[in-house]
Amino acid sequence: MSHLDTGANLEPIPARAGIGFRAAHHEALLAELPPVGFIEAHTENYFHEGGAAVRALLRARANYALSLHGVGLGLGSADGVDREHLARVRRAVQRFEPALISEHACWGHAGGEYFNDLLPLPYTEEAARVLARQVSETQDFLGRQLLIENVSAYVTFADSQLTEWDFLGEVVARSGCGLLLDVNNVYVSAGNLGLDARAFIAGLPRAAVREIHLAGHARNGAVLIDNHGSPVCEAVWDLYCHAIARFGPVPTLIEWDTDIPPLATLVAESARADQLLKDCRGLAA
Amino acid sequence: MASLRELQGAFAAALRDPAAACAVLPPANMSVYRNNASVTFRETLAHTFPVVHRRVGDDYFRQLAVLYRAGFPSSSGDLHGFGRDFPAFLAEYLDGGDYAWLADLARLEWLRAECSVEKTVSALGAEALGNYASAELERLEFALQPSLRLHSSSYPVFTVWQANQSENASPVDQSTGNEQGMVLARDDGPELASLAPRLFSFLSALQSRATLGDAMTTAGFGEQELLEALAFLFRQGMVCGLSVRAPA
Repeated sequence: MSHLDTGANLEPIPARAGIGFRAAHHEALLAELPPVGFIEAHTENYFHEGGAAVRALLRARANYALSLHGVGLGLGSADGVDREHLARVRRAVQRFEPALISEHACWGHAGGEYFNDLLPLPYTEEAARVLARQVSETQDFLGRQLLIENVSAYVTFADSQLTEWDFLGEVVARSGCGLLLDVNNVYVSAGNLGLDARAFIAGLPRAAVREIHLAGHARNGAVLIDNHGSPVCEAVWDLYCHAIARFGPVPTLIEWDTDIPPLATLVAESARADQLLKDCRGLAA
Repeated sequence: MASLRELQGAFAAALRDPAAACAVLPPANMSVYRNNASVTFRETLAHTFPVVHRRVGDDYFRQLAVLYRAGFPSSSGDLHGFGRDFPAFLAEYLDGGDYAWLADLARLEWLRAECSVEKTVSALGAEALGNYASAELERLEFALQPSLRLHSSSYPVFTVWQANQSENASPVDQSTGNEQGMVLARDDGPELASLAPRLFSFLSALQSRATLGDAMTTAGFGEQELLEALAFLFRQGMVCGLSVRAPA
């Protein structure tokens, strides 16, 4: 495994709370410059040479540390990774110089068809090898470490042999990637699949977690839906406290992608996470 | 045990067909993924084609999105290109009917989507023409803004687009005939404007790298019309470069 640039030589992302950089907030964020720790942008929205979104991110980049978060590589797809898509990710990385780069532990295409969703992997030795190999190849191509995020799941494969946390641990060990722990996704998957959310957090390799995501979810009958459309719920805040007690204060993103509220609401959510991170640092001191 | 490729193939088949076998638990929750996919595609399409959506309404647009996806499934992890084939799909689906104009409207909206992510290059002022000798002017080639898109339709689609920037717009009489126009990137988003037929011909010729002399002939311009057209191009910030084609 080659030495990977973790992005620490760029302006590092502080162990504070950040917010997603969404089109509905571009104007307000650039006008008000709220005191959030960093911003995170969806990589695929910045694949083009021009346009309002690119101009806004270039301006925001002058004021905030940046994390680029991809949703389209499908790193666990048995059909491999689209080289053209990967080249566009590299172009975005070179252009915007993010301190963190992340993607998902999922797949998204088969037989030439893309589903444009974060589909769950079977937790098998073969899937861990495939994901780790494609994460390694991506890291080598970008010259940067990737953080891999656990996804929300609504089903589990009957063929799964490993727990999700052991699966992620194996991918980390094989590829040298870091982890982006989505605490809301842990809560949603645990609720849908009968998992122990605290065992999930306890089972992850401690030093690998370099970023955390928090978001809201919805309930549809017995199913929890990861819709990023509401405030973080109290049970997820509790689980977050449990997570930072184990992993220490790490950069934490508030995600809100549907029914997007005023910027001030998002900033208030990030302030709550910031206070918890501060308390965590106090306990560690 | 099934291979990863087999497991993903079975999952993909179950996303397309609820009756397909897929060894996941609980099986009923596959509907969440099916719903995610159809909503994502429909919303992406509606975002790219807002006026088509507005003209046909939610229910019909939903049907069109399902049919379009069945014929043109996504072929990329980046959804921005997902609507590329929608105008051609509509043209075939609506062929010859009263709503055939919707395909041309969709073409205009796709050009708008393309334009919205193109870069804008520094524009030249009209004084740049002063760098060339009179004898060179007719052999001038123009580099126009990369975001410039030209669209010619048998229907009044620019009028339809403009009229539908607010809800509850009245239908536009399609018998008012053809329109030509342009889409050009501005700081606050793409600008759409209809153009007089001869100005459209002139711009089309220049965009396909005809010389100024040839474009003037194509458009049937006299000297005064040429001067007005050039003033328009420079005023709109469309001209990014000039060069002289070598004599044949």
